[in-house]
Amino acid sequence: MNRTIHKLRPTDYWRIGEHESWFADMAAEGLHLKKMGLHFVKFVKEEPKKTRYRIDISINREITPEQKQMYAESGWDYVTSYGNFNVFSSPVELNAPELHTDPAEQSYTLKELDKRFAFNAIGVAVAVALMIGMVAFIWMLGSTPVLNLMEGIVIQQTILVMVELYVAYTSLKAAISIRALRKTLSEGKPIDHNAPWKKHHRVTFFIACMFIIFAVLGAILPWVQIAMSVTKTLPLEDTDLPIVRLSEVEQNPDLARKSPYAQDDIDWGNRYSYDWSLLAPVQYESNERGTVPNTMWKGGSGKYSPSISTTVYQLVIPAMGESVVSDFIKKYGRIYRGGDFIETDHADFDLLIVHEEDELKEVFAYKGKAVMYVRYHGYADINRVIESTARRIALISD
Amino acid sequence: MPYSGGPMTEAMYYVLLALMNPNHGYQLMNAITEVSNGRLHMGPGTLYGVLTRMQKDGLIALTEDDGRRKTYIITIEGELALRNEYSRLMALVQDGAMLREGDRNE
Repeated sequence: MNRTIHKLRPTDYWRIGEHESWFADMAAEGLHLKKMGLHFVKFVKEEPKKTRYRIDISINREITPEQKQMYAESGWDYVTSYGNFNVFSSPVELNAPELHTDPAEQSYTLKELDKRFAFNAIGVAVAVALMIGMVAFIWMLGSTPVLNLMEGIVIQQTILVMVELYVAYTSLKAAISIRALRKTLSEGKPIDHNAPWKKHHRVTFFIACMFIIFAVLGAILPWVQIAMSVTKTLPLEDTDLPIVRLSEVEQNPDLARKSPYAQDDIDWGNRYSYDWSLLAPVQYESNERGTVPNTMWKGGSGKYSPSISTTVYQLVIPAMGESVVSDFIKKYGRIYRGGDFIETDHADFDLLIVHEEDELKEVFAYKGKAVMYVRYHGYADINRVIESTARRIALISD
Repeated sequence: MPYSGGPMTEAMYYVLLALMNPNHGYQLMNAITEVSNGRLHMGPGTLYGVLTRMQKDGLIALTEDDGRRKTYIITIEGELALRNEYSRLMALVQDGAMLREGDRNE
């Protein structure tokens, strides 16, 4: 009975001797090489048989029928190819002559491959350098690198860069190895057809697994982020969400909701969104607007209509709290309004920075795992905003 | 590396020598063993590599190509290069003649 067995393909495909001895050891266990796929090597399970394997580099991408024919006449049967690497096999008892009896001559067969690999390695290196530059640029957008990381904008790109770095590393390794092999051959030293492969296999298997995990992670993260994202209209009554409500700051029974942006069942002026990212798995953002009848803004700009918004993150790494606060200030802080951002000691926060300018009140704070930014437009005292922030941040700070 | 005179590899020398008579693949391997008086058993990989390279360099050419089987023959340039190499090797051997006298003196 013939059974097909798939094994993960070693990533160091340029190691000729190791592959030859691996195939031979597999054949001795009854696994006979059938095909080299993109990611898997296909073996057919049959009777164990002592078999020699040789890998020959063809100058052109495809091996010529003439070459196959010539090898077959000497007892070497063509098995499979991957790139310019062609695998031939011969039963040990046939005692077929070696494919290459002159290492110096064999080194000439590597010349084209050597050139191509070197060219490839340089190309990949340049492409990766460009990608890194691009990601670094995205990362530094708005000069808020930590926040960009929290929001997950750059995580995927960073993972992609890691994957690309690995690809660059592999092509560089391939180029260097082939160059070295060409040199040893030209010095008259033949390829070791029984090179030990086990250690390399373990290492490349581990690296390949990491590679797959990273690649899959990079591919699914944005989808997870989109899938986890929810936006809802804020209920009128209080919630146990870690967001500061307009009513608890205004403390005015006459306060009514103002809904200028209601659309698609969501009141965008009075909403909260939940988001997820790898480094900040709990994120809330809210806006709320209200009016108080018969009250006007001082300065005659119409009816008094206070508003409040909250942005809050629960971090995986609490040590990043201070950096997130500083990026919050850079990204959201109304610096152009003037006035100072004052750091204040407060028992309920690890860090508290407030900014007050006329009716604008901003609170930046972090405590434990939680980072919070509250912006309030209205006439209530800033201490009420701070108290509410303290109460809300305690909900997710542990 | 295109051939531009100078010392040939052993493989090149013997393939050219064997191709003084047109020949193909497997038989050519045997012919090489023959012209080297059994000293050289050239593997098919080495042979194929040398053939491709020398064909590119114009030292040998195809006389017949029925798709599956290609028959090679030495070209005029090839023969010239081979004769030059032969003279070079002869000169080398003659220069080494003193070693033989040394043997006798022992």
